[in-house]
Parts: sequence; structure tokens; C-alpha cells
Amino acid sequence: MSADQLKAQRHARGKRPQFYATPGLDQAMSMIVVLAQELHVLADRVDAIERVSKARGIDLAAEVDALVLDQPALDAREQRRQQLLERLYYLVRKEGQELAEADSQARYDRVISETAQA
Amino acid sequence: MLNTFQQAPHAMLPVASHDEAARQEFSKSLKHFVQQGLLPGLQPAFQRRAAPAYERDTGHPARDRREIRAAMVTDPYFQHYAALNRISQELLWNSVIDSVERQLPVLNERAQALSAEGSATLRIDAGFEPPRYVTALDIHCMPGGYASELVPGDISVAALYDRGAYLYGMGFAGPLNDDMGRSVCNYIQRQLPGFKPRRILDMGCTVGHSTLPYKQLFPDAEVWGIDVGAPVVRYGHARAAALGVAVNFAQMNAEQTDFPDGHFDLIVSHILMHETSGRAMPRIVKECHRLLAAGGYVIHADLPPFDLMDPFTQFILDNETWYNNEPFWGAMRDLDQIQLAVDAGFAREQVRFATAPMAILESAAQGAAGYTDASASAVAEREFTAGEFAPGGGWEVLIAHKPAAPAQAGQADEKAVTA
Repeated sequence: MSADQLKAQRHARGKRPQFYATPGLDQAMSMIVVLAQELHVLADRVDAIERVSKARGIDLAAEVDALVLDQPALDAREQRRQQLLERLYYLVRKEGQELAEADSQARYDRVISETAQA
Repeated sequence: MLNTFQQAPHAMLPVASHDEAARQEFSKSLKHFVQQGLLPGLQPAFQRRAAPAYERDTGHPARDRREIRAAMVTDPYFQHYAALNRISQELLWNSVIDSVERQLPVLNERAQALSAEGSATLRIDAGFEPPRYVTALDIHCMPGGYASELVPGDISVAALYDRGAYLYGMGFAGPLNDDMGRSVCNYIQRQLPGFKPRRILDMGCTVGHSTLPYKQLFPDAEVWGIDVGAPVVRYGHARAAALGVAVNFAQMNAEQTDFPDGHFDLIVSHILMHETSGRAMPRIVKECHRLLAAGGYVIHADLPPFDLMDPFTQFILDNETWYNNEPFWGAMRDLDQIQLAVDAGFAREQVRFATAPMAILESAAQGAAGYTDASASAVAEREFTAGEFAPGGGWEVLIAHKPAAPAQAGQADEKAVTA
């Protein structure tokens, strides 16, 4: 994209209503739906790849369904799933760790105060 | 019914990449889901939860759309419904802006080239000020509204509207998004046989979706589309040229045009009135009376007045006022439109409401992509569902007639709207 590319307006004039009483939830809901949209874009792209391949004589959908995973493939996929879940539950696991270490906001505040004086 | 309706391409329509198209289809599907999958739960949420709570708190039941709204805004089901409806609207425009922005300035250049090819007139008024009711808020949350320009001669908001309005209507208005115009044309053919207008005016035409069918029905007539937005008028002119239909377009305010008295035999509008204002609408109806020739008809196609529906349906529809930047949507539906026409000079017995059956079945008959017989029939025959863009069955039209002078009364005039 060139530097002088015309940029269209992205926001509609008019105060956006807030639907939820919980601060931030309106924004979070929008993010979730955008992620669902992007997930759908990927699904359509995979579908497109399969259809284009089939038109060129490669039945990717059938071959993918018939694919038998060998041990390295099974290992790689399991590792990827576990990594995904760790990323997904990063904050929950952080909370678990803090509970295990009896960490707290009070300790954090104390450290700030002590550091300033020491 | 699966809705796989597809918009018909033409030279001005922005082309979507694979991923842009997938995002656009998602936003269209999301609107369908909100209406078919979430909207039906509003009634039980109201009856079982919000209504009893409201009555407990206030000592009386929720009696009209305003009280129903007060009861519902704190209900979690309603919040999810309304939030998702708003988000779907935001995703819709954003997904189309991606395509439009990527194809600028080529689309602007193409509009100029197409307009230069056609024989029809294009009038843009350099000193024109669009009225506040289209500039104060971006109507239906379309970023930029109808009138803003990124550069002189810009049509980007019009390209956004052409594609976005199709997605907003979920394809119910046909591959060229012209169902309202075609439905009114069908109504004229059936109900006003022998009526042959020499000059036709479409007020608030935007990109001319519904304007073109009139030229196709009356090829010998001089057809004009006017709108307050320069970009939409420019784009409409170029789009008509791309589709090979000779329609004139002008930037003008329907409240006060510069056409002479009695200039048009047929004046129409499609979903214009609810995007004007309490002061503008009576002026537009008066201007119609001034512009209409003896023997002529005015037909305004908009959404049904509130008094034709129950308070809960009114409440659902009125969400557009509060959540979709449609400030006049609710107030317009409360107006006595028959009285407005009478005040403008039409005889009361010459004014009435009628229903113009939806022309969507024709799209299926023409074999348009996604428009199967079954899906088109399902749209045309279904009951009115609050919250949908297309009312189902037909469009509500307000018809006013100006009888011909007695000596010149023809056959069409005898079939006047007294029936």
C-alpha cells in the first residue's frame, strides 16, 4: 500500500450505545465476534483450497480424511494442542501459581514501598 | 431456508478478495442468525423475566414500546441480542470498507469514465449543503454517511452503500437490490393499467437501486433520481451507465427541488422518509404535490407505521432508533401520513396505504445466484417478522393521486385510488 493511499472513514458519527453494565464487556464481545469471523475466514479458505485442488485433480478433502498419522505427526499435534491450551489459560495458570506461592497485591505494594526506601 | 443469495456484479461494484468476501458473507449470516436465532427469545425473556420485574418495580405492566424498552434494557438476554445486532452492523460496514479502500482511487476513476460514456445527465451542485438530518449522525452506522468525500469527485461511501445495503438486506431485495422499485413497478402495472408517465422522479435515490426499474418499465419516460449526497448521485449515474440504463441523476434536496410545477407524472421514493426529519417530511410531501402533474401519482414506499403493529413489535423495530443511528425511524412511524398528504393539498379520498407485493420471486425465475425457487418463495410468502429489513409479503406504500382536469380525464384517472 502506497503512502498516499486513501483511507476510508472507519467509525460512524454518533455515540455508540453501551449494552452491558460491566465495563469492557461491550469491547470484549466485539473482539469475540471478530475472532469468530476470522475463524470462519480460515475455514472458507481451507474449503477454497480443497475445491481449487479438486478442480486440478487432487482430492485434498478425501486425502485429508484418509490421512493416517504416524508417531511424529501424533507427537507434533499433541504438543501444539497443549501449547495452545497453555496460552489460552495463561492468566488462570498465573492465578494458580500466585495462590501456590501465597502471592498478593499487598506483597506487591509492599515491594514498591520498600524499594523506594531501600 | 438457507439464505445463499448473491449480489449481481456490475462494473462499479467493488470486487472482494476471497477473505473480504468471507468476512462479508459472515456478517450477512450473522444478521440472519441474530434475527432467526436470537430474536425469537426476546418475547419469552420479556414475558417471564423483564415484564414481571417491571410490574413489581412500577406497580403497573409495561404498556407501550417505551415502557417495554425500559423493562428490557437491563435484561441479559436482550443485552446479548442488542449488542450482537450492533456488532453485526459494525462488522458489515468494516468488511466492505476493506474492499472499497483497497480499490481506491480506481473506483473513482471508473465512475468518471462510465459517467462520461452515458447519454444521461449528471448534475452536481458545487454550493449544495446536505441537510443536518443526514450529516448529524451516520445513518445506519455507515461510516461517512451519504455525503462525505475523501477527495473531490469521490464515490467511496456510495460503493460502500451499494455493497453494504445488499448485505444489510441479506439479499432479500434481489441481486440488484432493487426489489422496492420493482415491487412498486409491479403494483403500477397491476393497479394502474394505462398509466403512462412521461417524466418520473425518484426522491432520495442514493445509488439508484430502485430508480432503474422505472426506466425499464417505461423506456420512453425521462427518469430522474435525486439525492442530497454527491457521492451517491455520482455513483448512481455511473452504475446506471454500467448497467446500460439511461437515468438522469442530480444532487438535490427533495424538500425543495428546482424542477418546474407539475413537471412529473410519477414521483416515487423508497425508504427515504424515515431518514429525513419531522420538519423535512411534510415539506417533501408538499414538494411532491407541487411537482406532480394533473393525473399523476406519488408513491412512497417505506416501512409500516407503528399503529399497524402491537407494542412489542414496535419495541423491537424501534431498536433501530436507539442502536443503529436511525433518529427519525420511530418518530416517522408515529406520524399520520395520510393527514400529511391532505395538508400538502391532496384530496383525502385520493390518498391511501397499499401493499406492493415483493418482486423477489422474479429473481429466482431469472436464475440469479443463490435465488432458488424455494428460498425466494420462502421470503415472499413468510409472515412479517419484526426486526427484518424486508417486511415479507410486500412493501407498505403510501399513494396519493392528483386527478386530471375533468375535460382531460383518461381511463387511468377513473381507476383512481378511490377503490
